[in-house]
Amino acid sequence: MLKIKNLKATINEKLILKGLDLDIKPGEVHAIMGPNGSGKSTLANVLSGKNGYEIEGEISFNGTDLNDLKIEERAQKGIFLAFQYPLEIPGVNTNNFLRTSLNSVRKARGEKELDTLTFLKLIKEKAKELNIDEKFLSRQLNVGFSGGEKKKNEILQMKLLEPKLSILDETDSGLDIDALRIVADGVNSYKNKKNAFLIITHYQRLLDYIKPDFIHVLSAGKIIKTGNADLGEQLEKTGYANLS
Amino acid sequence: MKQNYDFDIEKIKNLSQEEKISRKKNLDLFYEYGFPTKQVEDWKFTDLNLILNKNFDNISNEVNFESSKEFKAIENFEHNFIFLTNGKIISTNFDHEEKSKILIKDFNQKEEVMNIDSNNALVLLNSALSFGGFSLEITKDYKLKKPLIVYNCFSQDLKNKILNNKNSIKLNEGSELTLIDYSDNNSQSNFIKNTVDTVSLDKNAVMKNILIQNSKNNGHFYKNIKGSLEGGSSYENYILSSGLKLNKIEIEINLNKDNSSCSIYSALNLLEDQHQEIKTRINHNSPNCKSYQKIKNVLNDKSKGIYQGKIFVEKIAQKTDAYQLSKALIVNDDAEFDAKPELEIYADDVKCSHGSTSGSIDSDAVHYLMTRGIPENEAIKLLINGFLNEVLENITNSKLKFFLEKILERQINGH
Repeated sequence: MLKIKNLKATINEKLILKGLDLDIKPGEVHAIMGPNGSGKSTLANVLSGKNGYEIEGEISFNGTDLNDLKIEERAQKGIFLAFQYPLEIPGVNTNNFLRTSLNSVRKARGEKELDTLTFLKLIKEKAKELNIDEKFLSRQLNVGFSGGEKKKNEILQMKLLEPKLSILDETDSGLDIDALRIVADGVNSYKNKKNAFLIITHYQRLLDYIKPDFIHVLSAGKIIKTGNADLGEQLEKTGYANLS
Repeated sequence: MKQNYDFDIEKIKNLSQEEKISRKKNLDLFYEYGFPTKQVEDWKFTDLNLILNKNFDNISNEVNFESSKEFKAIENFEHNFIFLTNGKIISTNFDHEEKSKILIKDFNQKEEVMNIDSNNALVLLNSALSFGGFSLEITKDYKLKKPLIVYNCFSQDLKNKILNNKNSIKLNEGSELTLIDYSDNNSQSNFIKNTVDTVSLDKNAVMKNILIQNSKNNGHFYKNIKGSLEGGSSYENYILSSGLKLNKIEIEINLNKDNSSCSIYSALNLLEDQHQEIKTRINHNSPNCKSYQKIKNVLNDKSKGIYQGKIFVEKIAQKTDAYQLSKALIVNDDAEFDAKPELEIYADDVKCSHGSTSGSIDSDAVHYLMTRGIPENEAIKLLINGFLNEVLENITNSKLKFFLEKILERQINGH
């Protein structure tokens, strides 16, 4: 599904990713762990198409060169990034945003756009699954939301847009144990043989709830080690320092 | 410059000799001033003379008032209406109301035009050439059940013409009115509309005055609203009139008695080379009055927006509570926004605050929205809507709010 070959990314003349390889197949859950500054968030940003990066190397998503796609086209084709710090957007009503987003994606996929009533019914169901109070949906997007509420809102968007590849960037940060479980349940209930996950995290904590098939250790812009779920537990004990 | 203008009082029908003399005086005074240039402080950001010279070869007041009796009323929104063509009443409909409570007639030119008390060239010109217009009066304690839409329609033959209208709106004690001034301008011709509205609110009267422009067009509009408020009355103005090539709205509100209040809101999304100015003057002439202004402008393309707002507090007007905020969102580097907030305060126990900010679209927010599959231009529209719709948050009538939200969306989509 996602093939990355020798990816280099530079921002403000600083080389952050220094030749990264990654191959994600449908049905797989990959975790990327690594110390601060290793390039984890840069990888998420590059995949989402954020401006300002100079890119070298190959990224192909289901056979399409990702570099040829605009930001919104990536989302429409099924790449979803759950942000580490979801933005607060004053004035923009959450429901209205969610509907615009869903309909943009549906339109691009050649599906019928949903009218307000059908949409509201759908979003209420999805919100309930994640234990999100309906009131949040009529508030301004993420404005005054707690850290946990923002992260739950990201997962709500994921479940709404039904992406093929979901990238979760430090989704566990700022979550208490109950919210963590809800988020993890949300991810697990969406997981199937056709979609894939790339989970970026500092800690083993989230991986106790969402079991990865592969764990990659990113250090100084390169993957230095790949293993199975046991690698996370090992890292928890020994830290990253002993790997490099 | 005088020779470019073909202003002739004789072209106005049915005037008495006395009226002609009075109008002539106004016209002579206008000629002394001419159309304002940027040297006139009130017009420093809108050089009207220059703009008119660029866009008009000559300007005439000879206007044909015979016109079609048909117009397209807004659907799915219950309302009363006054239908005007070129400023003159064609028909009215108050089927939602007790008709005896509402007095509507042609504006009485004879009584009103005489007074020459202005140094505003456009008001003088209006007094010289005014024709048509309406007078509306709501009787004591009558609260209109539905909003009143004043449809301003125009004939197709207005190239190089100037329309001058006066309207008067009087709300007697305890009455309530929502008046939507709805310009439905399908005329592609270049013309000038110069309107003077007088609003008078008696004790505890409540008025909402909403200005809407239905389509994008070449009109050059000037509107002067002068309001006088008695004790406990309240006036709210919403300016949602994007779309005109040139639009200047000047509002003067006199808070004459205790506990009267006024609010002025604007939500404008200016495109292309549109030029729109809002100039306000709030006179706190009495203690314990409140005024609130929130002016929001979005400037796209090469558009230009202006806000000149003055709060004037008389010595006697203690416990005044006055607030003024202007926020501009500049989408393109070629667009411009000018703000000139002014406070002039002679009382010593008052609460007055003002602020003015301008900024650009938050690129991180655009990115966030785009990662959710929303194309860039749609993302920007969502953000613009988010910025502007805040001014509607105090409207409690849900039908009216829904209607205005649609109007705002239409403005944001460029009509």
